[in-house]
Amino acid sequence: MKYLDALAPALLLAAASLPAQAQEWPNEELVLTVVVPYAAGGGTDSAVRPLIEELRNHLAVRIQISNIGGAGSAAGTNEVLNMPADGYAVLVSGTHTIAATMQGLTDGYRELDQIVALNWDPFIVAVLADSKIESMADLIDAAQAAPGTICLGNAGMGGATGVASIAIDLAFDGIFNVTPFDGGQNLRTDVLGGRCDAGIFSQSEILTNPDDFRPLVILTEDRSLLDGLSDVPNLVEAGFDALDVPGGSFRSIAVRQGTPDAAREAIAAAFAAAYDSASYQSFMAEQGIISTFATLEDAQAYFDDLVTGYEPIVRASGLYAQ
Amino acid sequence: MDDLLAGVAMIATFETLFWIALGSILGIVLGALPGLTATMGVALMLPVSFYLPTATGMAMLLSVYTGAVAGASIPAILLGIPGNPNALATVRDGHAMTRAGQAGLALGSAAVASLVGGVLSLMVLILFAPYLAAATLAFGATEKFAIAALGLLIIAAMSEGNLLRGIAMGALGVCLSLLGSDPFTNAARLPFADTLASTPFHNGIELIPALIGLFGISQALLDLARLRNTAGAEPVARIGNVFPSWARLRSMWRVFLESTGIGTLIGAIPGAGASVAVFLAHERARKTSRPVDGEPAVGEGRIEGVIAPEAANNAVTGGALIPVLSLGIPGDAVTAVLLGALMIKGVVPGAALFANDMPLVYAIFLGMGAALMAMFVFQLLGVRLFPLLLRVPLSFLIPCVLILSCVGTFAVDGQAPIKAGYNMAVALALGVVGYWLRRAEYPIAPLVLGLILGPMLEDNYRLAVKLAQGDHLVFLYSPIVLGMVAVMALATLAARGRR
Repeated sequence: MKYLDALAPALLLAAASLPAQAQEWPNEELVLTVVVPYAAGGGTDSAVRPLIEELRNHLAVRIQISNIGGAGSAAGTNEVLNMPADGYAVLVSGTHTIAATMQGLTDGYRELDQIVALNWDPFIVAVLADSKIESMADLIDAAQAAPGTICLGNAGMGGATGVASIAIDLAFDGIFNVTPFDGGQNLRTDVLGGRCDAGIFSQSEILTNPDDFRPLVILTEDRSLLDGLSDVPNLVEAGFDALDVPGGSFRSIAVRQGTPDAAREAIAAAFAAAYDSASYQSFMAEQGIISTFATLEDAQAYFDDLVTGYEPIVRASGLYAQ
Repeated sequence: MDDLLAGVAMIATFETLFWIALGSILGIVLGALPGLTATMGVALMLPVSFYLPTATGMAMLLSVYTGAVAGASIPAILLGIPGNPNALATVRDGHAMTRAGQAGLALGSAAVASLVGGVLSLMVLILFAPYLAAATLAFGATEKFAIAALGLLIIAAMSEGNLLRGIAMGALGVCLSLLGSDPFTNAARLPFADTLASTPFHNGIELIPALIGLFGISQALLDLARLRNTAGAEPVARIGNVFPSWARLRSMWRVFLESTGIGTLIGAIPGAGASVAVFLAHERARKTSRPVDGEPAVGEGRIEGVIAPEAANNAVTGGALIPVLSLGIPGDAVTAVLLGALMIKGVVPGAALFANDMPLVYAIFLGMGAALMAMFVFQLLGVRLFPLLLRVPLSFLIPCVLILSCVGTFAVDGQAPIKAGYNMAVALALGVVGYWLRRAEYPIAPLVLGLILGPMLEDNYRLAVKLAQGDHLVFLYSPIVLGMVAVMALATLAARGRR
């Protein structure tokens, strides 16, 4: 017992010094963990890594990226929700967080504060280049002619492409064979292999096979920023202005609710500086990523609008969990 | 020709060779540590590659990849614990050879096999990548289901003489793999789903913690029991001959070629994976190897049983690059990271890369070749060194293995304490289960194979039927599946006929 007696004051002292440390953000002794809720090398991971690398130049704390995939981004999200709200853990959030939260897989955005809104990777509906289907109208016609025979693939029900495919299917009374694949790469394999007629892809996925795919429609309001894809019509131009679907995957940075203001502001400012760097701006331009940068309250407001827009679609698709 | 020279110029610099050497050593060390995988090694070095020229960065990542694949055989041979799934099929013969005092020979053979498998598959990649890439697109869910079903057949061979127990273990593995969440709807598939859905149980049982538990921790527990019973130290391991004789190597030309073929092909099919390839290669070697006087059969410590899986797993690396470079489709987690590394550099793989930037393509091929050479050199340097591990007293080695196993499971999830803690608990629980199973003489390998094949069977079956609009007979319409079944039947009958 003696050494316990000796230990107690030391522990008390340590406990007392904790809040003081939390006040000073950043504490250079600590590490900022950036949780990417997908595996390394995936679309989300590739889109934020260059930004995080740039971020190292603008923050005094050390940064480490932690890829925690699983359960359609819910595993990584829950991991952040279980870390202390001290500003040393941020989540790469976005539309996947909305989808995962509404499906009841995590408390997700209800427990998070958005501190940086980053950008959008647009979705494109595409078929094989030598397909008989030449436009979005052709695709709908083909499906209406023989309901249930045309495969419309997505990169997983948990993500935004899953919600988009269901929204399109529901708008036409369920004429498609909506098929979830395990990630965009598997969807790509099966569309290229001719086993699935059409797929909803991230724009960056079309980039690798420009000659093999025929893009039908881009789901964002504006046309693609990329030269090679700038002639792809948007939904309105393709004649489907009534169709309300998620237009792409949106990415943001979020922290747990209750994170000290000093930390939020410091992190948001550092992200702003990294985002403005020449290297990240040119990266986004190469990938055709649409910038929607905002921080703190503006980022939260932007995100809240997205949540409001998603809810009816997810409810209608039957994926909404109470 | 100018393109090739430009490619050589990108690789033949001191900087590039330095990073290849470093990547190779790192890869071998990571691969040899239980639970640390090639994917983690490559992801770890990914940020470093941002600061290097594209060709140099790719060569470095490839050297980590090939190193980690080859390094996994070291603990498999010496301790009976595979460093990662690549060495799953090496354990049986490799560890048996160590127990027979041939640790050096097993390690040397593994190094030779890794080099040969890697180089041959690289040649296939260079010569046929665009054609093979088009061919791999023909493999859809239906065909991948057939490959997985083929994998199940290997259970018979892995049952160590007791088929019923082997099948039971395989079935248990498949059952365990189904726990967690539905792969299509993400709905919880667990007992007490309401309470457990938002806990890490939602992730089910992942392969790496299961591997560490079933092989690493259970082995440590077995050694512990042995330590108590004998109270003596291990017999000092002799290193013995490091290389098989030239004549012996030549006699195995068929094993080399078949294993490389299996590895390259399975590696090239997105989503099939090295674990299936190594078991298939090992099984082929068992079928084709004729008895040799004074040598045990394959499965009981014969050199072919090490050569086959080690040639196959490094052949997978060359194969896996085929769809990534020519289609931009990553077949597994490692190549996904490699693809990410290229994309971040602004290099878009696919037909356009081959059309517009041949110097970089050549540089990647040459970098891969240099990475394989570095891997071979460092493995050979280690062959006389690694067996010294066996001279470490068991009472010291066991705690080290246990600690490393825990580090391995923890590291899988970086700084994610909850998921890492859960994975560690899975490893410990399966370690105890594995200990009792092994004491009761139930084979462990079929259980692991079931865990690997379970999701592959389920996902592909459901996807195939979904794409066929609910037709469960879709598997009978695929010429590839029917061809595979025919070849399997012929191979089995031929083997019977010879006996």
